[in-house]
Amino acid sequence: MIQVLMIAHALTAVFLLGALTHQAFSVARVSAAQKSNIVDRFRGVSSPAFTNTIIVLFVLASIGGGLLYPRYRIDVRTTLEDLQLRSANGIFEIKEHFAAVGLGLLPAYWLAWRPPLALDWAATRKYTTWILAFCVWWNFLVGEVLNNIKGLFP
Amino acid sequence: MSRFAQIKVFSTLYGVVYTLCFYLQGLYPTSQWWAPFRYYPSVEQWSITRLPPETAGPAILWYAWLAEAFVFTLVFSLLVPRKLADKIPPGAVWAGPAVTVVAILIYERRWFF
Repeated sequence: MIQVLMIAHALTAVFLLGALTHQAFSVARVSAAQKSNIVDRFRGVSSPAFTNTIIVLFVLASIGGGLLYPRYRIDVRTTLEDLQLRSANGIFEIKEHFAAVGLGLLPAYWLAWRPPLALDWAATRKYTTWILAFCVWWNFLVGEVLNNIKGLFP
Repeated sequence: MSRFAQIKVFSTLYGVVYTLCFYLQGLYPTSQWWAPFRYYPSVEQWSITRLPPETAGPAILWYAWLAEAFVFTLVFSLLVPRKLADKIPPGAVWAGPAVTVVAILIYERRWFF
Protein backbone atom coordinates (compact mmCIF):
# COMPACT_ATOMS: atom_id res chain seq x y z
CA MET A 1 0.00 0.00 0.00
CA ILE A 2 2.77 2.43 0.92
CA GLN A 3 4.43 1.82 -2.48
CA VAL A 4 1.19 2.69 -4.29
CA LEU A 5 0.84 5.86 -2.21
CA MET A 6 4.47 6.75 -2.86
CA ILE A 7 4.05 6.40 -6.64
CA ALA A 8 0.75 8.33 -6.60
CA HIS A 9 2.43 11.09 -4.57
CA ALA A 10 5.35 11.25 -7.01
CA LEU A 11 3.05 11.34 -10.06
CA THR A 12 0.95 14.12 -8.51
CA ALA A 13 4.16 16.04 -7.85
CA VAL A 14 5.30 15.58 -11.46
CA PHE A 15 2.00 16.91 -12.85
CA LEU A 16 2.07 19.80 -10.36
CA LEU A 17 5.66 20.63 -11.24
CA GLY A 18 4.87 20.67 -14.97
CA ALA A 19 1.77 22.84 -14.66
CA LEU A 20 3.35 25.29 -12.23
CA THR A 21 6.56 25.61 -14.24
CA HIS A 22 4.54 26.41 -17.38
CA GLN A 23 2.63 29.08 -15.49
CA ALA A 24 5.74 30.48 -13.79
CA PHE A 25 7.43 30.89 -17.18
CA SER A 26 4.31 32.38 -18.74
CA VAL A 27 4.06 35.21 -16.17
CA ALA A 28 7.69 36.06 -16.86
CA ARG A 29 6.86 36.62 -20.52
CA VAL A 30 8.56 39.69 -21.93
CA SER A 31 6.91 39.95 -25.30
CA ALA A 32 4.09 37.99 -26.89
CA ALA A 33 5.58 38.62 -30.31
CA GLN A 34 8.73 36.59 -29.60
CA LYS A 35 7.42 33.05 -29.93
CA SER A 36 10.25 31.59 -31.92
CA ASN A 37 12.31 29.29 -29.71
CA ILE A 38 11.34 26.43 -27.42
CA VAL A 39 11.44 28.58 -24.27
CA ASP A 40 9.02 31.09 -25.76
CA ARG A 41 6.69 28.32 -26.86
CA PHE A 42 6.93 26.81 -23.35
CA ARG A 43 5.91 30.21 -21.98
CA GLY A 44 3.14 30.72 -24.47
CA VAL A 45 0.38 28.88 -22.62
CA SER A 46 -2.99 30.06 -21.39
CA SER A 47 -1.87 30.66 -17.80
CA PRO A 48 -5.27 31.04 -16.07
CA ALA A 49 -6.31 27.61 -17.34
CA PHE A 50 -3.71 26.00 -15.06
CA THR A 51 -4.83 27.66 -11.81
CA ASN A 52 -7.53 25.33 -10.50
CA THR A 53 -5.57 22.26 -11.58
CA ILE A 54 -2.51 23.53 -9.70
CA ILE A 55 -4.56 24.16 -6.56
CA VAL A 56 -6.09 20.68 -6.64
CA LEU A 57 -2.71 19.04 -7.34
CA PHE A 58 -1.00 21.03 -4.57
CA VAL A 59 -3.64 19.96 -2.04
CA LEU A 60 -3.46 16.33 -3.24
CA ALA A 61 0.34 16.33 -3.08
CA SER A 62 0.20 17.76 0.45
CA ILE A 63 -2.31 15.16 1.59
CA GLY A 64 -0.14 12.44 0.04
CA GLY A 65 2.90 13.83 1.81
CA GLY A 66 0.98 13.96 5.08
CA LEU A 67 -0.04 10.31 4.71
CA LEU A 68 3.53 9.25 3.91
CA TYR A 69 5.05 11.28 6.73
CA PRO A 70 4.59 8.69 9.54
CA ARG A 71 6.48 6.06 7.55
CA TYR A 72 9.21 8.58 6.77
CA ARG A 73 9.49 9.56 10.43
CA ILE A 74 9.96 5.98 11.57
CA ASP A 75 12.05 4.47 8.77
CA VAL A 76 13.86 7.18 6.83
CA ARG A 77 14.52 9.85 9.41
CA THR A 78 15.92 7.43 11.97
CA THR A 79 18.20 6.02 9.27
CA LEU A 80 19.38 9.52 8.39
CA GLU A 81 20.05 10.20 12.06
CA ASP A 82 21.97 6.93 12.39
CA LEU A 83 24.07 7.87 9.35
CA GLN A 84 24.52 11.38 10.81
CA LEU A 85 23.15 12.97 7.64
CA ARG A 86 22.03 16.19 9.31
CA SER A 87 21.78 18.08 6.02
CA ALA A 88 19.33 15.50 4.67
CA ASN A 89 17.15 15.99 7.74
CA GLY A 90 17.43 19.74 7.30
CA ILE A 91 16.28 19.80 3.70
CA PHE A 92 13.26 17.69 4.69
CA GLU A 93 12.40 20.11 7.52
CA ILE A 94 12.40 22.91 4.96
CA LYS A 95 10.26 20.76 2.63
CA GLU A 96 7.51 20.37 5.24
CA HIS A 97 7.60 24.10 6.02
CA PHE A 98 7.38 25.02 2.33
CA ALA A 99 4.37 22.74 1.91
CA ALA A 100 2.67 24.65 4.74
CA VAL A 101 3.55 28.06 3.31
CA GLY A 102 2.26 26.94 -0.09
CA LEU A 103 -1.04 25.73 1.36
CA GLY A 104 -1.54 29.09 3.04
CA LEU A 105 -0.73 30.94 -0.17
CA LEU A 106 -3.24 29.00 -2.31
CA PRO A 107 -6.31 31.16 -1.50
CA ALA A 108 -4.50 34.36 -2.53
CA TYR A 109 -3.07 32.60 -5.59
CA TRP A 110 -6.62 31.62 -6.58
CA LEU A 111 -7.79 35.19 -5.98
CA ALA A 112 -4.97 36.65 -8.06
CA TRP A 113 -5.73 34.35 -11.02
CA ARG A 114 -9.51 34.71 -10.78
CA PRO A 115 -10.96 35.93 -14.12
CA PRO A 116 -11.25 38.64 -15.25
CA LEU A 117 -7.56 39.17 -14.48
CA ALA A 118 -7.19 42.47 -12.63
CA LEU A 119 -4.35 44.68 -13.79
CA ASP A 120 -3.42 45.81 -10.27
CA TRP A 121 -2.98 42.16 -9.30
CA ALA A 122 -0.44 41.41 -12.06
CA ALA A 123 2.58 41.56 -9.75
CA THR A 124 0.77 39.45 -7.13
CA ARG A 125 -0.09 36.87 -9.81
CA LYS A 126 3.54 36.71 -10.83
CA TYR A 127 5.06 36.50 -7.37
CA THR A 128 2.54 34.11 -5.82
CA THR A 129 3.14 31.82 -8.81
CA TRP A 130 6.91 32.09 -8.43
CA ILE A 131 6.80 31.46 -4.67
CA LEU A 132 4.64 28.38 -5.23
CA ALA A 133 6.94 27.22 -8.04
CA PHE A 134 10.01 27.65 -5.83
CA CYS A 135 8.40 25.67 -3.00
CA VAL A 136 7.22 22.90 -5.35
CA TRP A 137 10.62 22.60 -7.06
CA TRP A 138 12.37 22.42 -3.67
CA ASN A 139 9.92 19.83 -2.37
CA PHE A 140 10.12 17.73 -5.51
CA LEU A 141 13.92 17.67 -5.63
CA VAL A 142 14.20 16.97 -1.88
CA GLY A 143 11.67 14.17 -2.18
CA GLU A 144 13.64 12.60 -5.01
CA VAL A 145 16.99 12.98 -3.21
CA LEU A 146 15.67 11.44 0.02
CA ASN A 147 13.91 8.66 -1.84
CA ASN A 148 17.18 7.72 -3.53
CA ILE A 149 19.57 8.69 -0.75
CA LYS A 150 21.01 5.23 -0.24
CA GLY A 151 22.00 5.16 -3.90
CA LEU A 152 23.21 8.74 -3.97
CA PHE A 153 25.26 8.45 -0.75
CA PRO A 154 26.22 4.78 -0.45
CA MET B 1 -12.08 42.02 -4.82
CA SER B 2 -13.79 43.31 -1.64
CA ARG B 3 -15.96 40.19 -1.49
CA PHE B 4 -12.77 38.21 -0.91
CA ALA B 5 -10.88 40.72 1.23
CA GLN B 6 -10.49 38.24 4.08
CA ILE B 7 -8.58 35.90 1.79
CA LYS B 8 -5.82 38.49 1.62
CA VAL B 9 -5.55 38.51 5.41
CA PHE B 10 -5.49 34.71 5.55
CA SER B 11 -2.79 34.20 2.92
CA THR B 12 -0.64 37.03 4.23
CA LEU B 13 -0.64 35.66 7.76
CA TYR B 14 -0.87 31.88 7.48
CA GLY B 15 2.80 31.26 6.75
CA VAL B 16 3.86 33.72 9.43
CA VAL B 17 1.68 32.07 12.07
CA TYR B 18 2.83 28.58 11.04
CA THR B 19 6.46 29.71 11.26
CA LEU B 20 5.88 31.22 14.69
CA CYS B 21 4.33 27.92 15.84
CA PHE B 22 7.35 25.80 14.94
CA TYR B 23 9.86 28.47 15.98
CA LEU B 24 8.30 28.92 19.41
CA GLN B 25 7.95 25.15 19.76
CA GLY B 26 11.70 24.96 19.26
CA LEU B 27 12.27 27.64 21.89
CA TYR B 28 9.84 26.10 24.40
CA PRO B 29 9.81 22.36 23.64
CA THR B 30 7.78 21.45 26.73
CA SER B 31 5.03 24.00 26.02
CA GLN B 32 1.62 22.75 24.87
CA TRP B 33 0.73 26.05 23.21
CA TRP B 34 2.63 25.72 19.96
CA ALA B 35 1.80 22.09 19.19
CA PRO B 36 -1.45 21.27 21.00
CA PHE B 37 -1.38 17.65 19.84
CA ARG B 38 1.13 15.13 18.52
CA TYR B 39 1.07 11.98 16.44
CA TYR B 40 3.22 9.03 17.44
CA PRO B 41 3.65 6.90 14.30
CA SER B 42 5.41 4.02 16.08
CA VAL B 43 2.35 3.32 18.22
CA GLU B 44 -0.15 4.92 15.77
CA GLN B 45 -1.53 7.17 18.48
CA TRP B 46 -2.66 10.81 18.65
CA SER B 47 -2.04 12.52 21.95
CA ILE B 48 -2.54 15.95 23.49
CA THR B 49 0.20 15.20 26.00
CA ARG B 50 3.85 14.32 25.48
CA LEU B 51 4.36 10.58 25.63
CA PRO B 52 7.69 9.07 26.73
CA PRO B 53 9.90 8.50 23.63
CA GLU B 54 11.17 5.17 25.06
CA THR B 55 7.73 3.63 24.66
CA ALA B 56 5.97 5.88 22.12
CA GLY B 57 8.85 6.64 19.77
CA PRO B 58 9.32 9.90 17.90
CA ALA B 59 6.44 12.39 17.62
CA ILE B 60 5.21 14.28 14.55
CA LEU B 61 4.30 17.90 15.30
CA TRP B 62 3.77 19.08 11.72
CA TYR B 63 0.03 18.25 11.71
CA ALA B 64 -0.46 20.32 14.86
CA TRP B 65 1.41 23.32 13.45
CA LEU B 66 -0.68 23.17 10.27
CA ALA B 67 -3.95 22.88 12.19
CA GLU B 68 -3.09 25.55 14.75
CA ALA B 69 -1.98 28.02 12.08
CA PHE B 70 -5.13 27.27 10.06
CA VAL B 71 -7.56 27.78 12.94
CA PHE B 72 -5.83 30.87 14.31
CA THR B 73 -5.44 32.54 10.91
CA LEU B 74 -8.98 31.67 9.83
CA VAL B 75 -10.52 33.12 13.00
CA PHE B 76 -8.31 36.20 12.85
CA SER B 77 -9.04 36.84 9.18
CA LEU B 78 -12.79 36.56 9.80
CA LEU B 79 -12.56 38.99 12.72
CA VAL B 80 -10.75 41.66 10.72
CA PRO B 81 -13.34 44.18 9.48
CA ARG B 82 -13.86 43.95 5.74
CA LYS B 83 -13.08 47.66 5.23
CA LEU B 84 -9.72 47.19 6.91
CA ALA B 85 -8.99 43.97 5.01
CA ASP B 86 -9.83 45.74 1.78
CA LYS B 87 -7.07 48.26 2.44
CA ILE B 88 -4.38 45.59 2.39
CA PRO B 89 -2.47 46.13 -0.84
CA PRO B 90 -2.18 43.12 -3.18
CA GLY B 91 1.60 43.30 -2.73
CA ALA B 92 1.31 42.30 0.94
CA VAL B 93 -0.28 39.03 -0.12
CA TRP B 94 2.94 37.76 -1.70
CA ALA B 95 5.37 39.77 0.43
CA GLY B 96 4.28 38.01 3.65
CA PRO B 97 4.88 34.49 2.30
CA ALA B 98 8.10 35.61 0.54
CA VAL B 99 9.53 36.93 3.80
CA THR B 100 8.39 33.71 5.50
CA VAL B 101 10.24 31.56 2.96
CA VAL B 102 13.44 33.55 3.51
CA ALA B 103 13.00 33.40 7.31
CA ILE B 104 12.56 29.61 7.14
CA LEU B 105 15.75 29.24 5.07
CA ILE B 106 17.69 31.40 7.53
CA TYR B 107 16.34 29.55 10.58
CA GLU B 108 16.87 26.07 9.16
CA ARG B 109 20.49 26.70 8.12
CA ARG B 110 21.29 25.32 11.60
CA TRP B 111 21.11 21.88 9.98
CA PHE B 112 23.93 22.61 7.54
CA PHE B 113 26.62 24.34 9.63
